[in-house]
Amino acid sequence: MTPEGFLYHEAQLMDELRFQEWLDLWLEEGRYFVPIDPESNGSERQVAIINDDYGRLEQRIDRLKSGSVLAIEEARGAMRRVVSNVVVTRDEGDSVALESNFILGIARSAEQQFWMGRSFHDLRRDGDGFRIAAKKVLLINSRREIPLLQFLI
Amino acid sequence: MTTEVKVPPMDFSKLVDGSRVRGSAYRDPEIFQRELEQIWYKVWVYIGHESEVPNPGDFVRRQIGLQPVLMVRGDDGQVRVFYNRCRHRANLVCLAEQGNAAKFVCPYHAWSYANTGELLEPTFDEGYDYDLDKEQFPLVEVARQDSYRGLVFASVAEEGISLAEHLGPVTEFLDLFMDLSPEGEIELNAGCQKVRYKGNWKYMPENSLEGDYHGPFIHKIAFDLYARRSGLDVSTLHEEEIPDVIRSLPGGHMVEDYRGAPLAKRPGEPSPARKDYIEKMRARHGDEKAEQMLGTMAPLLYVFPNFIYVMTHIRTVQPISASETNSYYFPVMLKGAPDEINENRLSDHQFMFGSAGFVSPDDVEIMERNQVGMRAQGDDWLFIGRGEHREREMPDGGRSGFTMDETHLRGFWRHYASLMNGDAE
Repeated sequence: MTPEGFLYHEAQLMDELRFQEWLDLWLEEGRYFVPIDPESNGSERQVAIINDDYGRLEQRIDRLKSGSVLAIEEARGAMRRVVSNVVVTRDEGDSVALESNFILGIARSAEQQFWMGRSFHDLRRDGDGFRIAAKKVLLINSRREIPLLQFLI
Repeated sequence: MTTEVKVPPMDFSKLVDGSRVRGSAYRDPEIFQRELEQIWYKVWVYIGHESEVPNPGDFVRRQIGLQPVLMVRGDDGQVRVFYNRCRHRANLVCLAEQGNAAKFVCPYHAWSYANTGELLEPTFDEGYDYDLDKEQFPLVEVARQDSYRGLVFASVAEEGISLAEHLGPVTEFLDLFMDLSPEGEIELNAGCQKVRYKGNWKYMPENSLEGDYHGPFIHKIAFDLYARRSGLDVSTLHEEEIPDVIRSLPGGHMVEDYRGAPLAKRPGEPSPARKDYIEKMRARHGDEKAEQMLGTMAPLLYVFPNFIYVMTHIRTVQPISASETNSYYFPVMLKGAPDEINENRLSDHQFMFGSAGFVSPDDVEIMERNQVGMRAQGDDWLFIGRGEHREREMPDGGRSGFTMDETHLRGFWRHYASLMNGDAE
């Protein structure tokens, strides 16, 4: 699997609400970070959109899998994203870092929503594939008022 | 736009009838316009906390109703609220959401203003055929401004009751969460989550102050996750309904007062930081009050019309239209508390709140669906009658009910109706 291929695979799992398979991509020291301030590195005492260590990430997935999250009832099959502009920023031994853009469309009951941003993946080679050590997502509207984000980006 | 079935001219006194509220109050643009005039441009509106602008020149952009304002700490150290509008031809003098400015320069024709408001330079002023008096053109301050323990409020109306009269007995409850700081000072310095939803602004205070009635239905999974993480079972905290929890106060304010409902003991030995915090609280408040404050959840509260305190944060409500609202979540940090205490508060906040949190998104989803359900007008009355028979008058002039009662909603709507009719404040 190429690093780009991994990003496409991950995108498909997120689009198809295959929550457990997505969680299985992560290393247990993984960090999932969606800041409000793009300059933030996650260590400041600042609230974020998402700032999950692996334990919190497991809870996020437990909740999404539970079937009782109101905001995702209608989302099954209604979400697709395009991942593009992939740049490998580091490729040393087992460690590969990637940057990529995404555009995500979601059909909700009365509207079609679009989200857009840049993802920063820090991956480790694992057999034929990769595991995620860290992922940061900068939404283009992170500093604006945003609607519910009850899915994976 | 929805088509309203109604007989003109609109009679605003018919929106509320005791335990019933008309759906049009959430839906009708004409009523929204009336709310701007009778509520948002009359009463005291919360702007921000002084800790958001700690240094001279610090500013944040805010709104009162639909009007843009700036809260600025001037070089003289004073915090003021200005309309964000150039005196020349009304451009925004400040576009940034927050920052620090020695002066504000309008981008259109570069008129500039001191951070204390005075006009500095009306560019190319030799072109005016009279001696332009700069003192006639400062940034305009919002008519009335006052603060309570760092919480800054302003009112667009030249006249009206004082802030102290507006707040009334709600200060007792404001004190309770601010006193969680061992120095008696909160700090809003951990950022802000900004949420937009497609629903009326009034859903936010209504829903935020009634966790116990809807909680078991829409937040069950979050309660389960929290219990697994912390060992505290919050879902059964109020299994039996407790009297005097849900409160309405004069002025449309609402409270969920859990002082009579002790929290389950945290499992295990407190950490050194927690012990330190408990000691500091005892030193400041005495053993008995410290025990009471740390052994129960600080009351949830709503200060009419746009200020909410819930568990970890101050939340503000910003109407956009009858069917769109912004809401801002500011984690409350406790000045003088050990870092671990504030880090835990922020972690709890991040768990529960914001667009990607595990609790409040279920509420927001409900609010958006409410706005859709409200389009059906077969019988346009909402029913808010739970606990009306057992509601009791309180010494502070408010009323109280049991844990899941709708006493707070009836108080909110009584006050709302009196403002919309123009016979209060």
